[in-house]
This record gives sequence, structure tokens and C-alpha cells, in this order.
Amino acid sequence: MPVTGRIIVRDTPVDLLRDGRGEPLLFLHGAGGGGRWLTFQEKLAERFDVLAPSHPGHGASAAAEWIEHISDLAFHYLDLLDTLELPRVHLVGASFGGWIAAEMATMASHRLASMTLIDPVGIKVEGWIYPFLFAMELPQLVATVFHNPMAALALAPPDMSIETLAVLYRQNTALARVAWNPYLYNPLLRRRLARISAPTLLCWGAHDRLAPMICAEAWRKEIPGATLRVFDESGHVPHIEEPEAVAAAVIEFCQSQGRRA
Amino acid sequence: MKFYYFHLMPYVMEHDEPSSWVTLSNRHYDPAVGHTLYHQYLDQLEYAERLGWDGICVNEHHQNCYGTMPSPNVMAAMLVRRTSRAKIAILGNGLPLRENPLRIAEEIAMLDVVSGGRIVSGFVRGIGAEYYSTAVNPTHSRERFYEAADLILRAWTEPGPFAFDGRFYRYPFVNPWPRPLQRPHPPVWCPSQGSSETVEWAAQRRFPYLMVFTPLARIKQIYGEYREACERHGYTASPYQLTVNLPICVAESDAKAEAIARQHAMWVYHVGLRMLPPFWQPPGYTTEASLKRLLASRGKMPTELTYEDLEDGGYIICGSPATVRDKLRVFADELRAGIVCSGMNGGTHEATLEMMQMFSEEVMPHFREDAAVDETLGVGR
Repeated sequence: MPVTGRIIVRDTPVDLLRDGRGEPLLFLHGAGGGGRWLTFQEKLAERFDVLAPSHPGHGASAAAEWIEHISDLAFHYLDLLDTLELPRVHLVGASFGGWIAAEMATMASHRLASMTLIDPVGIKVEGWIYPFLFAMELPQLVATVFHNPMAALALAPPDMSIETLAVLYRQNTALARVAWNPYLYNPLLRRRLARISAPTLLCWGAHDRLAPMICAEAWRKEIPGATLRVFDESGHVPHIEEPEAVAAAVIEFCQSQGRRA
Repeated sequence: MKFYYFHLMPYVMEHDEPSSWVTLSNRHYDPAVGHTLYHQYLDQLEYAERLGWDGICVNEHHQNCYGTMPSPNVMAAMLVRRTSRAKIAILGNGLPLRENPLRIAEEIAMLDVVSGGRIVSGFVRGIGAEYYSTAVNPTHSRERFYEAADLILRAWTEPGPFAFDGRFYRYPFVNPWPRPLQRPHPPVWCPSQGSSETVEWAAQRRFPYLMVFTPLARIKQIYGEYREACERHGYTASPYQLTVNLPICVAESDAKAEAIARQHAMWVYHVGLRMLPPFWQPPGYTTEASLKRLLASRGKMPTELTYEDLEDGGYIICGSPATVRDKLRVFADELRAGIVCSGMNGGTHEATLEMMQMFSEEVMPHFREDAAVDETLGVGR
């Protein structure tokens, strides 16, 4: 079981789950996914020292009023690496977390031993407009995010108490602050992706209905040398829908980079 | 007591869609029908002045069949030249929804000058759904509201040009022509849903507070909080700072009034306010404290309300002229509210005009002890 810790990153408290031994690996969760240690994290922790912070306003991390833009979150996690004195990490980001990871890589690829993006959002792709999750009720949300709706149970809230509903609202608010308009992307990011020099793996669910394969192609084109792995039984969240397979792909990729280095 | 005639200008229709807002396709809107409706509604507002109403009200909503006034200032402009005595209350402009709120300062000033100082300027945030239809970030709603209000009030009162450098709105030159006719500016009203933050903000500035389509018990609670806040700020709230805003249905007998209300007044709740849950509370629109308060007191959704709920909860006043007089007296006494703001729906245009006339002849005269008072003196500015 991971150790739950509370660290302070430049005045911002961060709730951090940590477990495993090996090279450090920073995992950035997607919207609504903070504070959970699921099969994917367990598998990674067999080979890595896995650090899984909750974004400000998510899970047990308090909302941070100073965060107004996606780049604020990217700087926040670069600050977190400094705070924990981690000069170089493997970076893994899923969906919204993948967007933050990509922003970080455009700023400081030298801090990254490798980067894995799992169905990231964050760039504008011609011919595609991300469906507006903020307008969806739960059934539609699940149908948009998951190929296998049973996998959604892993993210189900514990109850429907006022406290739980307030946490869900806080998470949604933290996401909306940086992603309402432009919705789920930073217009400046796409051109900057060419700056990424970290070895990059793109993991994509074949049935992603939020950011479909047309988006995967755009990311692959923009990030120099990026490798794309497609997971046939997954929608937008393959690390939750096929956790063993995605974890194995991440481990294999990170270790191959280690050997190459 | 002062009487204001309130109009939503609904596009009354039946449909099976889950929401009457944002997603209800505008293919349902027939402009030819809209032409007739707009003219009927404007006729009703103009008629209200002739019948003795003190004010007439328009308001802003977007992308829905509940109220077809995306630009309340356009409607006010039509009324300004067709009326000569009544206050024209714009309840209100959605300040955070504008990318350039200086336009509101300009438009209201234009209306105020043309109308000879008859404008009441409501400042609202817009309801949750509006953040979906305008794409304005709802997590900025409150800050944009305060900042835009500050900008508009300064634009009306400080000689220009001056520079304004806010977080959301920045202008090297604020210097609107014309300036408003009323001094220091048109009265500002705050229609709101009862968040403690807005209550405090309005009370501090002596801005009248009104709640729309809310049960009596909740209005009473919020108005109590407003009065307390006024005392905290060193003054006692004037009755004209508090408005009862609810539909009224009057007919020859209680039974007839009830029959009309059952058939027509329910539409607002069952169709007009039918909305997807996310549209009520977009992320960040509400503070966490207000959200918890709302969840704890969670009542029925508008679509779940029965006619009996409306009648018993005091969402509506319905009955013969004598009944309406009695109920109105209770409302006025319980809430100590100086202004009644209400719309009427007789089912057809003609029936609505008749209902308005009956109200003006058989109810209104019984509440005119303050006929000589100007309700806007020292209030809202």
C-alpha cells in the first residue's frame, strides 16, 4: 500500500501517494482521478518509485486560487520535483494529466528520463472538437470516457453525501478554471511540442470518444520520435480499462530508454 | 406599495427534450410566431403603464424558450419611447457575460438620458446555464461580476477619461458619452438567488435585492439576512430595497383563477425551467459554502413542483381580487417588502390584458398609501 503524505510545494499543499522502489516515476492523474491507487499504479510500483500527487483542488489537495492557466500546473509540478530533490523522473500523465505533462516537457525536457502520455488532451486537432464533459450527466459521461463502462466503477464516488458532492464540485471547478474556454486545450501548446526532447510514448485507447485516434495521430506527428501504442479494449482511460497491459507498455518503454541511455 | 410588471417573454411550447435551455434546438423557434409574441408582450408592458403600474421590467436570458430576451437593453429601448411615466427596470444585465462591460455603462446611460431618468439598472451574474451558452468561464463569474460592476459604477460617476486596469477588464480610456441622467447614477438592483456573498455586497451598497420564483420561506430568510447586513453597515433597509417577485393570477373567483393558473402558470416550472442538472450549477459558479447550504436545504426541482406546492409554498399568488388582496397583504407584511414585481398569464393575450386590468382596478388601489413616495429616492445608489 502506498504511503500517503502531505508536502508543501512553494506554499501549495499537495496530497501525495508514494510507493515502490526504483527510478522515480511521477504520475499525473486525469480529471476527477486524484487520490486513488489502482492496479496501474500498483504495477508500476513493482519497478519504480511511483509518486502520485493529487492536483490542487482534487482528492485531498486543497484548491489553489493562484492556478489560472495550465502552465501554472506545469510549473507547479516542476516545483514539486525541486521540492522533492528529484533531478530527473519518468513522467506519466493521463488525459488532463497528460496535458500537464506535455506542457512540462515543452519547458524542461531535461528533467524527464522519459514521458508517457495516455490519451492526453491539450492541443487543438483539426476536424475534432472535444465533447463538452461539463454539460454531461453521469451516464453520458461514462459512455464518453469509458469503452468498458464497468471500469468506471473504479472511479465511483464513495457515497453521495454533501461532503462528497462538494469534493466533486471542487474538482470540477479546478478543472474548469484552466480548461473551460478554450475547452481542454492550450492554443499555444501544439507548436511548442516540437521542443520536446524526452523520449515519448503515446498510449491510446482505440475507442476513445473524447480524444479519438485522429488526436493520437496529431500528437505523434508533433512530438519528435514519439512512439504510439494502441490498446484495443479501451476508451479514453486505458490505464484504468487495461491497467496491466498499459503498465507493461510503460515499464518496457522506460526500461528501454534506460538501456539506451 | 409599488407595483412593477415583470415579463419573461417566453416562447411557450411543449417539448420532450430534457432541457429547455442551451440544448433545446432553435429549429423549434418560429420567427413568425415570435413576431406576434414580441408585439403582444411589448403591448402588455406598455398597457401596464397605462393601468398604473409604477414600473415595467425586462431581463436577460440566452438560448432557451423560457425567456426570449437575450438583450434586455434592446427591449428597454423599445419601451423607452412608447412610455412616459413608468420606471423601466432592466433586471438585469448579466455583467460577467460581457467581454466588454463598458457597453453596459454606455447602453444604460443612453436609455437613461432618452427616458428622462426612468431606468433601473439590474446587475446580475446570469444563471448557470448562461455560462454554457456564452462560454464564459463560470469559475470567473463572481470576480467578473464585482469587477464589471465597479467599472460601470465608476464610468457613471467619475469624470473621464480614466484608466481601468482589472484582472478581466482593462481599458486605457474610460470616458463614456453619454453620462446617465440620474445622479449619481440610475438605481442599481440586485436580482439574485440568495448567496450570502451577494447579499452582503448588495446590502453594503444599498442596492435593492430581489429573488425571483422562490418560495416565501426562503425569501423571508434571505431578506432577513439582507436586513441584518444593512444594519451591520450602519443603516436600516428601506422597504423599497426588498421586492416580492412572483407571478400573480387573478380572476372573478378563486376557482376560475386556480383553473387558469393550473393550466398556464405551471408551464414556467414544468417546461420553462426544465434544465439538465449541470446547467444549474456549473463548476465554480457557486462558492463551496453556498453549494453546501444549497445541498443541505435541497428542495424539489422546478419540474417536480405541483400546483399545490406553488400555492402552499408561496411561489405564486392566485385567487379572486379579494383573495389576492389578502394574500398580498400577508406577503407584504411578512417580508416587509415595498415593491411587488409580477407577471401575469391569462392564457391568451386578451385574457392577460383583462387580468391586468382587473388587478389594477380591484387590487392595486388598496395598496396605495405610499402613492406620493418615489421608491428610487436614496435607494440603489
